[in-house]
Amino acid sequence: MSRTEVLDREVGRALSALSAAAKRGLGDPALAELVVIRASQLNHCAFCLDMHLGIAREHGVSEKQLDLLAAWEEAEGVFDERERAALALTEAVTVLTEGFVPDDVWATAAEQFDDGQLAHLIGLVVAINNWNRVMVGRRIPPGGYRP
Amino acid sequence: MTTEETVPYAPEHAPRLSWAQHAPEVYKAMLRLDTAARRGLDPRLLELVKIRASQLNHCAFCLDMHSKDALAAGESVERIIQLGAWEESRHFYTEKEAAALELTDAVTVLTDGFVPDEVYDHAAKHFEEAELAQLIAAITVINAWNRFGVSCRMVAGHYEAGQHQ
Repeated sequence: MSRTEVLDREVGRALSALSAAAKRGLGDPALAELVVIRASQLNHCAFCLDMHLGIAREHGVSEKQLDLLAAWEEAEGVFDERERAALALTEAVTVLTEGFVPDDVWATAAEQFDDGQLAHLIGLVVAINNWNRVMVGRRIPPGGYRP
Repeated sequence: MTTEETVPYAPEHAPRLSWAQHAPEVYKAMLRLDTAARRGLDPRLLELVKIRASQLNHCAFCLDMHSKDALAAGESVERIIQLGAWEESRHFYTEKEAAALELTDAVTVLTDGFVPDEVYDHAAKHFEEAELAQLIAAITVINAWNRFGVSCRMVAGHYEAGQHQ
C-alpha cells in the first residue's frame, strides 16, 4: 500500500509559519541549517536532508562542516563553541524518548545564546522535528524540494 | 494502630525559560498549527494520542494537561492509566484507537528508525486518507509541545481542565 501525499493546506501553512518565525528570530541562517540537518540525520528524514543540504550550500556552509556534522562532537576545529552548544541542544531536544534535556547541555547553550535566541533555537529544533515527522510518517521521497 | 505521617513531597522546580514570551511569533504559529491539526479528528482519540506521545517524550506538563482534559471530556481513568501499556491492554481500546496509538508510537520514536509499513498500513485500514494525514499532523503537534515543555522544564500540576481550549 502506498503512503499518502495528503497534507492539509492549513497544517502545511502553519508548519511553514512556525519554521519561518523560528529562523527569523534566531537570525543566523547558516547555523539554522546545521541545526536542521543534524535533527534530520537523527530522525532519518531523507526529504529534509536532501532539501536542507541544498539550502546550507546556498548559505555558504562549508563542505567540511556538512561532511562532519554527523560526528560533530569528534570533529575538532570544525565547529565553533556556539555551533557546538546549538548542536548539543538540538540533539537533546530531538531525542526526548531517552530522557530529558540535561542541565549541562542547557547551561552551555545558555552561555552562548540569550533568552530570545534560545527560545527561537528551540523553536527551530521543534519546527524541523515537525517536518521530519510529517515527511517520514508519509514517506515522502527526497528530491521534491525546489527552491 | 498505625500513625499516619505526612511526608512532604520534593520541592517544585522552576521553569528554565518562558519560551512563549521570548518567541511570541513562534508561539502564535504553534497555536495555529494545533488548531489546524485537530480538525477532522475525534477529540477523545486526540487526547489519547496526546497522552501517549507525552508519556514517550516524558513531558510532565503535557501529561498533566492532557490527562485533565481527557477526564473532563469524559474519558475513563482506566483507559488513561492503561495507555502506558496499551499494547498489552488492547481490549481497553477500539481497533481504530489501537491503530492510532501504534502510529503514535512509531511517529514519535523516529530516532530508532522509520515508521514500519505494517504500522502505517494498519492505520490506513482504519482511517481514510485525509483523516490519516490529520492524525500524523496531530501526532507531530503533540511532539512539538512536548519538546517545548521538556526543554524549558515547564512545571506540571497547575493546569486546569479546559484552560487552553
